[in-house]
Amino acid sequence: MPASRQTALARLRAQIRALETGSGPTAKVLPFGDARLDGCLPGGGLPLGRWHEIVGEGLQLETAAAPAAFAARLAAPLAEMGALVWVLRCDDLFAPGLAHLGFPAERLIQVHARNEAEVLTVLEDALRTHGVAAAFAEASSLSLLAGRRLQLACEQGGASGFILRRRCFGGGKDAGGGAGAVAAATRWRIASLPSAPSPDEPGLGPLRWEARLERCRGGRTGGWILEAEEGANAAHPFRVVADCGLAPEERLRYAG
Amino acid sequence: MRRLYAVGAAAARLSLYPGQKATDAKALVPELALAEADPTGDLSALNGLCDWCVRFSPAVAVDPPDGLFLDITGVAHLFGGEAAMLADLLARLAVNGVPARGAVADTAGAAWALVRFGADRTIAKSGEEAALLAPLPTAALRLQPQTAAQLARLGLSRIGRLMEQPRDQLARRFGPEALTRLDQALGEGEEALAFRRPASPWFARLAFAEPISAPEDLARVSLDITALLCRRLAEASRGAGRFELAFHRLDGRAEPLVVNLSFPGRDTGAVARLFAPMIERVDPGFGVEAATLLAERVELLPERQTSLEAVAPAAQEESLAPFVDRLVGRLGEERVWRALPHPSHTPERSARRAGPFAQPSGTGWDKDRPRPVRLFRRPEPIEATAPIPDDPPIFFLWRGRRRRILHAEGPERLAEEWWLKPPGATGPVHVRDYYRVEDETGARYWIFRAGLYAPGVPAKWWLHGLFG
Repeated sequence: MPASRQTALARLRAQIRALETGSGPTAKVLPFGDARLDGCLPGGGLPLGRWHEIVGEGLQLETAAAPAAFAARLAAPLAEMGALVWVLRCDDLFAPGLAHLGFPAERLIQVHARNEAEVLTVLEDALRTHGVAAAFAEASSLSLLAGRRLQLACEQGGASGFILRRRCFGGGKDAGGGAGAVAAATRWRIASLPSAPSPDEPGLGPLRWEARLERCRGGRTGGWILEAEEGANAAHPFRVVADCGLAPEERLRYAG
Repeated sequence: MRRLYAVGAAAARLSLYPGQKATDAKALVPELALAEADPTGDLSALNGLCDWCVRFSPAVAVDPPDGLFLDITGVAHLFGGEAAMLADLLARLAVNGVPARGAVADTAGAAWALVRFGADRTIAKSGEEAALLAPLPTAALRLQPQTAAQLARLGLSRIGRLMEQPRDQLARRFGPEALTRLDQALGEGEEALAFRRPASPWFARLAFAEPISAPEDLARVSLDITALLCRRLAEASRGAGRFELAFHRLDGRAEPLVVNLSFPGRDTGAVARLFAPMIERVDPGFGVEAATLLAERVELLPERQTSLEAVAPAAQEESLAPFVDRLVGRLGEERVWRALPHPSHTPERSARRAGPFAQPSGTGWDKDRPRPVRLFRRPEPIEATAPIPDDPPIFFLWRGRRRRILHAEGPERLAEEWWLKPPGATGPVHVRDYYRVEDETGARYWIFRAGLYAPGVPAKWWLHGLFG
């Protein structure tokens, strides 16, 4: 009896996971290459065909440089699967900077939208188009309806969306607000950290971020200190330096 | 000496003629009303009439001072035949206060001769030109006045007599022009007309029994006419890169709506969807009586079977074409771009904006050279204290906050591109020393000092961009 009970439990867990993540068991993922990161995410990597949210802090809320660099580093492997679109509100994205991070910036289509609503409309249109692999957008707030529409657009087109929270023109009460964030598959909070240059090499060390996975559908939250190796030929996009998780890991207890 | 330029019908009945001295005319008819001739105004009015005639055929040419050529090859069937089209055109012109004569023939020369010297509304069938032109005077061949006078003096007053003469004699006696004009009229010589727009056979037209003005009617009409033209394109295995839809109003005005496609296509739904937002801004005036659709940049586009598995990158861009076309139609061309490498040292010029499907050429950006992710359009001035010249600063003040620099890298000296400036305009003042600095929170900035360090002169520092 215990063997059939184990298989029944495994089947039930798979069903629950499918319900939680809202997709079949064969959802595609983008692995980070590190067990500590991949272990928190459902399926062992960043789920594709969903949209994700990346938030910065402090100055980054207005300039969104660290979230942009993180997203570019993360989504660079998606360039082989299709086209890339970036929707901007202020057109200050510098393509050689993206190229330095390993992102194929000369194939990126950039769109300069006129207002917030247009950013989300263009993002939804891009996600719905077959042939687009990833679409990035800089928006400041997201309503519940918009979040759900983005989710449907991702499912229809098969693309992954990345929303970078940015309040281009300062001011406003809604700093990263909006209830639409509940529809995101993962939510990351990125903060810059001082780097640790190696003593024998002059200059700055590799970029260092504190990345906290604040919400993850079907997975666990966590926090890590990540380092991005300079140059475009890094084996993995990130190297986990340390683990600074929010909550201690608890052992899952088997039911019954 | 003032002469009459043109006379009206009533004045012509009183035997006044153009070219008569004005004083003589006034003496003959004391109550004559005279107005100043305005040839430029007449020519612009004729151009306006030429544009109005686009609703009949897209290939319209002006024949100054008072004529129009319309090339109706292939469009006569839309009006129910050449006779019906001619009658419709002349009736509309008369209704708008422009009484006119018309003629239809295979060649421009024959049509010109028949309308001015033949019976009104003659329609010459193919091959009949010679017979119809024979009784007309030789002035109908658009010859120079000296040649016409010479021909008259020699007794060759009818075109028929001219046609009987041996050709080499004609050429030797009256010059090659007489022969070319004769050949053009009979269809044996080529004649090029300067059309207002290049002639294109890809033309569809819908006329309505009653004028329409409701937006949903205009939308339905645009869908129907697009379907008509795209079906013709599909039958010929062609696709067009530019569609021009015009609604012709009752008062004669028509504003064209233009749709450009990134890749030539013939999909009715895609083109109609691109027209949809523009139709809302159309002002129908008192009503729209006809709609015309013209397709340009037509090229061969064979059928392609869409495959089920992953497509090659070139075809991937084609599947993006409807999406990009929608964006360009909604936002404008300057808001959708791809940044391509440009060979320039200056950071703000090293990435240039190109069309969304442009391919990079030449060498790309140097991926090992660190560049910021965000570059400000205008570098922001900062106050920095650098105790040792040529070293990065220790503190800097930006946006009211003082930041302490922990690590720095640099300098990277970028000088102005002296080959682009006039001599004498560049110098050591215009160099920038870029430093990549990191402050105590971990944020990274790209700052530069403008100009070389000079003792006693406070250096000017600027912040140009932010790294991630």
